[in-house]
Amino acid sequence: MVQNPPEGNQRIIPYLAYADGPAAVEFLCRVYGFEAGTQLDMGDGVLGHAELHLDDNVVFLATAFDEMGLASPQSLSAVHGQVMVYVDDVDAHYEHARGAGAEITEEIADQFYGDRSYRTVDLEGHQWVFTQHIRDVTPEEMAAAAADM
Amino acid sequence: MTESQRVFPYLAYADAPAAIDWLRRVFGFEPLDVQTIPDGRVVHAALALEGAQVMLASLFDGGGYCSPQTLEAVPSHVLIHVENVDAHFRQAESAGASIRYGPVDQPWGARLYEATDLEGHRWAFMQPQGSASNSNEHTE
Repeated sequence: MVQNPPEGNQRIIPYLAYADGPAAVEFLCRVYGFEAGTQLDMGDGVLGHAELHLDDNVVFLATAFDEMGLASPQSLSAVHGQVMVYVDDVDAHYEHARGAGAEITEEIADQFYGDRSYRTVDLEGHQWVFTQHIRDVTPEEMAAAAADM
Repeated sequence: MTESQRVFPYLAYADAPAAIDWLRRVFGFEPLDVQTIPDGRVVHAALALEGAQVMLASLFDGGGYCSPQTLEAVPSHVLIHVENVDAHFRQAESAGASIRYGPVDQPWGARLYEATDLEGHRWAFMQPQGSASNSNEHTE
């Protein structure tokens, strides 16, 4: 029987649009540590589909096709969401990304909800949060922390 | 079968409480953790479908985010593997989802439909052909 989701895919997958798909694959692997998997190269620098792996999870991306109503964040006034990624060692991830030239939009810090995380924007403007869960927080602690904000 | 999920789409909504209700009613998401502030805005919410999660929040000034309502195109969509894509489609369509297309068998081996939510976020629901609840089951 066919496996659903397929091997190496989590159930819910962000699918991102880029003006320059191949450049995005190169950037996301070099800077954020993804590993390139299946790619559907349609020629002329157009990526029909690409899969990037991080441990047993993936993100997908493709070249933006206007007719599909998808666009690179480069051509939009803001973005409608971000991708949140749990890594095993967020400090090491941060150091690597910063060293590789990532634009850091929020410095790495412990968060009141028990994560340590940083925010970054990629070469075309997609927003990413890389995070590590470092402490379990009770609902009471969470409410108290939120009230202090 | 719940794989460990490391990657979470995190979506912005102009009206997050309405979005949570809509996503529950139309797509079958179960709200797990919804944190609101006194003015009704959602600072964080996690919703689950078949054991996997998406997250969302209300828009906040200075956050750099917008609702797709105000965009002429979107920079990403959310792809979800469900156990029975036809059943999911029927439920979503009958509950008022705006269906972009499908469900259709794709040449790369999946059956998929795409829908737009109440604010314009785009969602694709799919199932590999030949998996447990395959597309030959059209039971009502």
